[in-house]
Amino acid sequence: MNGRTRALKDVLWVLALAGLVAGTFRLWFGLGATTNLSDAVPWGLWKILNMVAGVAISTSGFTMGFLVYVLGLERYRPLVKPAILVAFLGYGCSCLALLFDIGLPWRFWHPFLMWNEHSFLFEVFWCVALYFTVTAIELAPTIFEKLNAEKAARILHRIAFWVVVVGISLSSLHHSSLGSLFLVTPHRLHPLWYSPLLPLLFILSAMGGGLMFLVLVRILHAHWYDRKAVFGPTQVERELILIRSATRGDHARAREVGRDMPMLTGVATIATGILAVYLALEIYHLSHAEPWRALVAGTWESWLFGAELLVTAVLPILLVWLPAARSSPAASTVAALSASAGLLLNRVDVGIFGYIRSAGEVYFPSLAEWALSLGVVAAAALVFLAFVEHTPIFAPPPKTRTERPAFKVSFDSLSGVWHRALSSGPERATLIAVLVVPLAWACMYPPYSRTHPAEVREASRMDVTADRLRLDGNREGVLTEFPHAACQERLGGESSCESCHHMSLPGDTTTPCTRCHRHMTAQTLIFDHAYHIQAVADSLGLEGLHASNHSCVSCHAAGSAKTAATATPCVECHGEWREVCDDGSKDLARATSYLEALHGTCLACHEEEAEKQHRPELRECSTCHTSLTPRGIPVSALARRQ
Amino acid sequence: MRAILVDVTRCTGCERCVDACAETKGIDPLKVQLDRLISGDGLSKNRLLSVPQVATGRFARMSCMHCLEPSCVSACLVGGITKTPDGPVVYDPEKCIGCRYCMLACPFHIPRYEWGETIPFMVKCDMCADRQTHGLAPACVEACPHEALQFGDRDALLREAHELIAHGHGAYLPRVWGEHELGGTSVLYISDVDLGAMGWPGPRTAPIPSLTEPLIAKTPFIGLSVAAGLLGIHWVIRRRMRLAGEASAGADGQEPIGVGDDGMSNAEENR
Repeated sequence: MNGRTRALKDVLWVLALAGLVAGTFRLWFGLGATTNLSDAVPWGLWKILNMVAGVAISTSGFTMGFLVYVLGLERYRPLVKPAILVAFLGYGCSCLALLFDIGLPWRFWHPFLMWNEHSFLFEVFWCVALYFTVTAIELAPTIFEKLNAEKAARILHRIAFWVVVVGISLSSLHHSSLGSLFLVTPHRLHPLWYSPLLPLLFILSAMGGGLMFLVLVRILHAHWYDRKAVFGPTQVERELILIRSATRGDHARAREVGRDMPMLTGVATIATGILAVYLALEIYHLSHAEPWRALVAGTWESWLFGAELLVTAVLPILLVWLPAARSSPAASTVAALSASAGLLLNRVDVGIFGYIRSAGEVYFPSLAEWALSLGVVAAAALVFLAFVEHTPIFAPPPKTRTERPAFKVSFDSLSGVWHRALSSGPERATLIAVLVVPLAWACMYPPYSRTHPAEVREASRMDVTADRLRLDGNREGVLTEFPHAACQERLGGESSCESCHHMSLPGDTTTPCTRCHRHMTAQTLIFDHAYHIQAVADSLGLEGLHASNHSCVSCHAAGSAKTAATATPCVECHGEWREVCDDGSKDLARATSYLEALHGTCLACHEEEAEKQHRPELRECSTCHTSLTPRGIPVSALARRQ
Repeated sequence: MRAILVDVTRCTGCERCVDACAETKGIDPLKVQLDRLISGDGLSKNRLLSVPQVATGRFARMSCMHCLEPSCVSACLVGGITKTPDGPVVYDPEKCIGCRYCMLACPFHIPRYEWGETIPFMVKCDMCADRQTHGLAPACVEACPHEALQFGDRDALLREAHELIAHGHGAYLPRVWGEHELGGTSVLYISDVDLGAMGWPGPRTAPIPSLTEPLIAKTPFIGLSVAAGLLGIHWVIRRRMRLAGEASAGADGQEPIGVGDDGMSNAEENR
C-alpha cells in the first residue's frame, strides 16, 4: 500500500459512504422523493447504468473462460481469475443497485416462484441470478485457497470446466436478452438505437467491450500495484539501460515493455476483432431506411450516435490494429478506456437518451441517484482492491503489505493521533465516514435536495384555498395570478360568491371554471341529454315501462326532426337562468369559451372600478396578465400602482 | 370479449367519466381536479382516465386500451398483469415487484406509478373488471351524458362502428382506431379528426408481443446449442493438442505436453 493506492481508497470510501446514505434515503423516503424518475421516464440511472451497462462490462468472466477453458489458450490463464472477480463484482453491483431500484425490494424473490416465460426481463432475471451463482462458484477456490481449505478448493477445481460451460451458456442468453428488453418499444425508442438486431448488437458489444475493460483493469492494477508488469522499466531505469547498452548499440532493451504486455495485446486484438464485427453490424443496421434517415437528420441524437460508434469501436480498433500503437502501453490504455466508456455510453444511449424524444421530458438523475449508482461501484472496487491485496488474483502475487507502524502515539500528542488515524486503514475509513456521512446527509436529504412533481402538486393544492389563485386557462404553463381573497373582500365577503360564480352545478363550490368552459376560444356543448330525458319524464310523471321514451315531445315538437335546432329553448323551463343569457340569443346548452367566461366575469367590474377610482390601469390587460407589457398607461398611473 | 366504443364527435370533454371513475375507485375528487392541472396528458395515479383535447374542439377518452395482445402482459416478469377472457387487462398488486417494465413496454404511455409513496404500486384502468362481473358497464360508460361511450361485445361494436362510418355521410373518418392497430384493442374509437395525438401507431402495426415472443421461445434451444457447441469445440481442440503432444513425444522421445492441471484433464478422463 503506497500513497497512491491510499488516495484511491479514500475516494472510493467517500463514494461508497455517500452511496450508503443515498440508499438509506431511498428506502426511507421512497423512489419518488429521492430520484428524478417519472411516469414519462420510468427507467433511470440505476437500471440502465448499474444493471444493463454494469452487466455488459463484466462479460470478461465468460469470454476469458471461453478462451482459456474451451479453446485452451493457456497463455491467457493469468487473466482468468481477475476476469471472474470482475464478473462477480459487476453482477453483484447490478443486483445491489437493482434492489434499490425496484419499488418493492423485499419482493425481489417473486420471479423465482411467479413465472412469466414470455418476458425477457424474466429470462434476464433468471440468467443473471444463476450466472451470479456461477461466478461465486468460480471465485470460491480463490477464497478457499486463502482459507487453506484445500479439499473444497480441489472439488471446485474438478468441476471448473463444467461450471464454465454453464456460465458461458447462461451469458450468451442474458447478454442478448438485455438487448431484447428494448425490443418491446418500437414506437418509443429512437430509430437510431431501435433495431431488431439489438440482441446481437448487445452481446457483441458486451463481449468486445468487456474484454477491453478487463485489459483496462489489468493496466490500472499495474498502475497502482505492479507497474513493471505492464509498463516495463521506469524512465530512470530506461535511461540507465540506455547508458549501459550504448556501448553495445543495443537500443531495443530500453524500449522494452512489461512482461504482461503481449498477453494484454493479444486479448485486446481478440476484443477489437469482436468490436469490428459489432461495427459491421451497426453499419448494416444503419443501411436500413429509418436509421439512416435519423442519422442524416443532424439532430443531437445523430451526433451522439456517431460519437458513440467512434468511441466504442473505431478508436479502439485503430489503436490496437495500427502497428505503431500496437504494443505501446499508453495506446492500449487509451483503447481500453475508450472501448469501456463507449460500451457504457451505448447502454445509456439505448436506455436513457434514446427515450428522451418520445418521453417529451429530459431526465437528469438526482444527486441521490448519482450517489447510489457510483457508491455501489465504489464499494465493489474496494472489495476488488481487498482481493488484490489479500489473495493471489493477479499472478505473481503482489508484494506483501508494508507493516503497519507500531503504536507510537502518546496521549499528549495530538499530531500523533492524526498521524495514526491517517496512516492506518480502519481508522482512516472511520475518519472519512465521520466527515462524509453528515455531508452526504445534508446534500441529499430529500426535502432539500430537489423539487419533485409531488411537491408541486401539494403547493398547487394549497393554492385552491389560498388567497392568490394561479389560473392557467389554455394550460400552456403561463400562469395568471388572481387575488381571489382581495376581490372577494371588495365585493362583500362570504356572501359575494354568486356575483362571480354562477354555481351551475347544484351544491358544488369547488368546480373549476374549466369543467364547462373547456376550450380557450370555442364554445363547449355541456347539455346533458341523458339526464334531461330522465328528469323530464320524472317531472311530468310520465307513465309506462320506459317512461323516458315518451319525453321527447316535451322539448322536440311532435312531427319535427329531433335536433338541437328544433328543441325548445332552455330558458323556457329554466327561467332563473334568463339573466345568464340576458339577450336570449345565447344557448344554455353551450358553455362560452374560457376566455369569454373569465373576461366576462371580471372585465365589467374592472371597467366600473377604473372609472370610479380614477385608476385607468385597472382596464389594462397587464393588470392581471402580468407577463404582458402595459400599453397606453401614463407613467404616473404606473407609479401610483406601485 | 367486451369493448368500449368511443365516438369522438360526441365527446365534449366534460370529464364526467373521470369523476365517475374516481368515485368508483374511491379517489378524492379534489386530487382528481388538481392532477389535471399538473399532469401533462391528464393521467396520474389519481386519474386512471383523462379526456385530452385531440384537435380543436375534439376530445377523446384516454386510458388503458386493453390491447388484445398487450405488451405489458408479455413484459411483466412475474405475470402480474393478465388479459381476462372478458376483455379487461388487470393488474395484481400482490405479485408486483415494482420493476416498471410495464411502463416502458406500454406503447400508449398509460401505466402510472405511485412515485410519492414509500410502498408504491402501478396504477391503471382495469375497465371496471369487478363491475363487469356483476353485469354492470364500466363507470365511465355509465356516466357519459353525451352517449359518446358505448360498452358491449367487441364484434358487435365494430359492426356498429363500421355502420356509423358507412351511413355517416362523411361525419367520420373511414377508420376504426383499435380495430387492427397493435393487433387490436378493446377500446375502439371513431372520429372525424385524426387521433395520432393520442399516440396511435399506424393502422397495420404488429402486436408488440409478436416482436419478442417468437424470439424468447427459442431461448432454451439457443442455450443448449451453445453448450453443445462449446463441448464440441473443446473436444476437437483437446484431441488435436493430445495428438500434437504425442507426435512431438514420438519424435523427441519426451513426455507429452501437459494439458492443464484442473478440470479439463479430469473432464477428459470422465468422458
